Amino acid sequence: MSGIAERAKELRGNRNAWLVPAMIALGIVYPFVEEGLRNLPVIGDFMPTTGTLVVMIAFTMMAVGLNIVVGYCGLLDLGYVAFYAVGAYTAGWFASQHFEQVTFHFGSSVDNDQVGIHVTMWVVLIFAGLLTMLAGIVIGLPTLRLRGDYLAIVTLGFGEIIPQVVRNGDSFGGFNLTNGTFGIAPIDPVGFPILSSIGFFPDNFQTSDNRERWYYLIAFLLLLFTIFCSVRLRDSRLGRAWIAIREDETAAAAMGVPLMRTKTWAYALGAFFGGVAGAYYASFKSGAFPADFYFNISVFLLCMVILGGMGSIWGVTIGGLILAYLNFSGLSTIGSKIQDAGLDFDPTKYQFGIYGIIIVLMMLFRPAGLIPERRHKIELEEGVHDTPFYDVQTEGALTDRDRGND
Amino acid sequence: MRETLDTVLRKLRNPKVVNGIGLGFVALVGVWLIVNFFKGPAEFVNVALDGLTRGSIYGVVALGYTLVYGILQLINFAHGDVFSLSGLVASTMLLSVLGLTGDSSNLAVVGGIILTLAITVPLFAVVNATIERVAYRPLRGAPRLTPLITAVGMSFIVSNISLALYGVDYESGSNLIPQGAAFTIGDIRVTWKLVVALAIIVPALFVLSWFVGYTRQGKAMRAVSQDTEASAMMGINVNRTISVTFFIAGSLAAVAGLVFLLEYNIRYDTGFELGLIAFTAAVLGGIGNLAGAVVGALVIGFVQSFNEGLTWFAPGGDWTRSIVFGILIAVLVFRPEGLLGEQTPEGA
Amino acid sequence: MAVDNLVEVTKLRKEFGGLVATDDVDFTIPRGSIVALIGPNGAGKTTFFNQLTGVYKPTSGSIVFDGVEVRDLPPHAITELGIGRTFQNIRLFSQMTAIENVLVGMHCRLSSGIIGSILKTGKVRREEAEARDRARELLTYSGLPRRHGERAGNLPYGDQRRLEVARALGTNPKLLLLDEPTAGMNPQETADFTAFVRRVRDEKGLTVLLIEHDMKIVMGVSERITVLEYGAKIAEGTPGEIQADERVIEAYLGKGAAA
Repeated sequence: MSGIAERAKELRGNRNAWLVPAMIALGIVYPFVEEGLRNLPVIGDFMPTTGTLVVMIAFTMMAVGLNIVVGYCGLLDLGYVAFYAVGAYTAGWFASQHFEQVTFHFGSSVDNDQVGIHVTMWVVLIFAGLLTMLAGIVIGLPTLRLRGDYLAIVTLGFGEIIPQVVRNGDSFGGFNLTNGTFGIAPIDPVGFPILSSIGFFPDNFQTSDNRERWYYLIAFLLLLFTIFCSVRLRDSRLGRAWIAIREDETAAAAMGVPLMRTKTWAYALGAFFGGVAGAYYASFKSGAFPADFYFNISVFLLCMVILGGMGSIWGVTIGGLILAYLNFSGLSTIGSKIQDAGLDFDPTKYQFGIYGIIIVLMMLFRPAGLIPERRHKIELEEGVHDTPFYDVQTEGALTDRDRGND
Repeated sequence: MRETLDTVLRKLRNPKVVNGIGLGFVALVGVWLIVNFFKGPAEFVNVALDGLTRGSIYGVVALGYTLVYGILQLINFAHGDVFSLSGLVASTMLLSVLGLTGDSSNLAVVGGIILTLAITVPLFAVVNATIERVAYRPLRGAPRLTPLITAVGMSFIVSNISLALYGVDYESGSNLIPQGAAFTIGDIRVTWKLVVALAIIVPALFVLSWFVGYTRQGKAMRAVSQDTEASAMMGINVNRTISVTFFIAGSLAAVAGLVFLLEYNIRYDTGFELGLIAFTAAVLGGIGNLAGAVVGALVIGFVQSFNEGLTWFAPGGDWTRSIVFGILIAVLVFRPEGLLGEQTPEGA
Repeated sequence: MAVDNLVEVTKLRKEFGGLVATDDVDFTIPRGSIVALIGPNGAGKTTFFNQLTGVYKPTSGSIVFDGVEVRDLPPHAITELGIGRTFQNIRLFSQMTAIENVLVGMHCRLSSGIIGSILKTGKVRREEAEARDRARELLTYSGLPRRHGERAGNLPYGDQRRLEVARALGTNPKLLLLDEPTAGMNPQETADFTAFVRRVRDEKGLTVLLIEHDMKIVMGVSERITVLEYGAKIAEGTPGEIQADERVIEAYLGKGAAA
């Protein structure tokens, strides 16, 4: 028990140390009380289903990942959806019948006669994270030396290129990489191939009685894992370097922080969690389709980070859950209530307008977010030395760009 | 290992190497164009003229981006969506209010266009300046990231307004323009589309360059672009100058919206892609540089038309976005000052 | 006997377009000395500093630090080699605490990696604890004994300057560059700071290069003074020599003042 209390303190700060275990307990218990909650009068319809919660958690995980890039290191990434796509398609490649040219099974619980590569989803999740991390490093190399607004546009560009590659990827010189607009489906479910021999654990979530519950519980654990890593990173040597870069990258470099390397790590680690979330969600949906990936998702995730508080893990988690809830459940429930009342108004049509309004209002009135990170609040109120590293008084930093980074 | 990677990268960023690779690439593209030309000269010219049509519209939008960026160092994400909305409003004017159809006389159409412009141009000038006043001005002193994020939010708000008012339908005014060629030179078709586009856009560009080059406000704009503090000390009203810039950018968006409506079709999300293409054009030409925006836009217009219209080894329309973004990324990474090389105060 | 020079700058030149900010300057800093760089405003002192620390890339010339040519290196690599600096207008990480600022300074001397940090291995825990101890020592040494957990931006001005030095010391430098460190200080603070600079050199075996306008400090603490004007070196020598140098007097006070 003392280990958990210590962990809780670490996660939340010394006050309200009970809050974290309480929330974790609530989370674990939810699927079992879901039906009861949904039967409550008035608010019952607003309670999300367990299945909706899985989606909410997947996107919140991505927001926590994005928080590392935008919140800790101050890099405006408008193309995070690319990482989601890479993660999802990794699941598509290594846990489906897509590559029918081979038959390779590894720990998977699907029938042995299925063609394609079928690695157990647990390994695929790790692999998706790593592959997405690699994509992040590759994308980061040319772009992270750009200054803030250009970086944003270039990440947006990559966020557009990757889905377009995916959409057109059914014949790269004859080779079908992504199956084009049809996407890759079905994707193998998660399961406990080894533990299932004990009896309680299903070897295949898809065919188990409690598909949603199992997916939800594992998703919940993945989210906790992401939050945990995020906290540890924030308080580490690397985390300090990120925040120093965010505040004043020239001074950070003068203090021995290698800018390119450090920024690339922020990007890569943010990508890692995006990839894991993407792969897991693809398994849950049992498919990865190009139509799933578009620019608005990147902004949606950014809105979560802004609403919650850039750099604030709990803020982003809560902001993420709130927005994801609205997006995947809340707005349509509200919409049907409104229509029941006789008005012909569909709020889901306006969801991106709502996110836009949230972003603008937050930036104007509460830029540090709902639950500000202690440090960032001050930064935003007092301003920072955020002229970029290559800001040279008289020279348009052209020759100075070739200074090289690290 | 990391050291070798770094040295490789550093060598790659060497201007001579970059320019060499760039020229080599351009040479390859040149060869590709020449081959395509010889495979069908008339068709090539027609495709090029189509590129001219597109490029001129991109140019008007790109000017909006570059004017605002030059003066505020802000990428106004909402610009493309203002463009969409203006096109949609123009469609209401032309098709609903004025009731023009494919059968209307040319005179009526011309009159309708003029009347519509008389309404949408001032309207969206005001809309654009209001956006600046409400969402960007309060954040003038904030860290750079903040107004940029706000611009993204604004973009979503405007496009959602378009969605709310017009739904997901495409509006088009292309039936108001005669189809086909205005005149032909052999197999080369100079389409009515091109004539109309140039007829509206070229005068607009003249007005703009007169304004920027010869009026006091124009001079003020150029001064504030170069050095905001010094301009303020010289007595220039910086806030008003910025507002004027947004007025102009909004006007340009309205002009472009109308032309795009007449040439193709428009809906609430058209401005997103077009905005990015136009921004790429502005960066390609040299962000902050007005002539550069036009040059860059023409290049991108040609790139798109060649990509979609030529037949020998052309990647095709599916790849347009990727090609354009590839150009954007390449320019920003290797030659951020663009083709016409305007040095922004802080470099890339 | 050959002097052991920690820094050897040869024909350093920096041009910004048509403006020559550094005009073929030769400059050496003997190991263990305290050297001052002075000159009227606009003489190019900070530009010189910035080339030493890799913020600007020289147009031509060479900078050899402890035997290594550093003119093409990025700033963090130069810091790793052993040059630490403070800034003319304080650039602390104002929303981090004092101790966190110093810890950032120690970044390149620590080695905790990502996996280790996430798992909080014993090695990482030890390194962090030792780092914090060392940071606290540096803060106390720099005259900020009870300020560890305070937000850097909340500190009074004089303490902020001291914190900048503590942070620079965190990089474990061989050469400490101080850019107008006593600007804005009252005479008492200035005297304290001057004594501190001497202590740092004596006790920690550092070499110090400082840019200063306050002549009392310059004459009082430096062993050698170099004078820049319009980017070029116009004089170099001991405080006594510089005080009597006609060109220097002219540069500061105008023609006819040297009498």
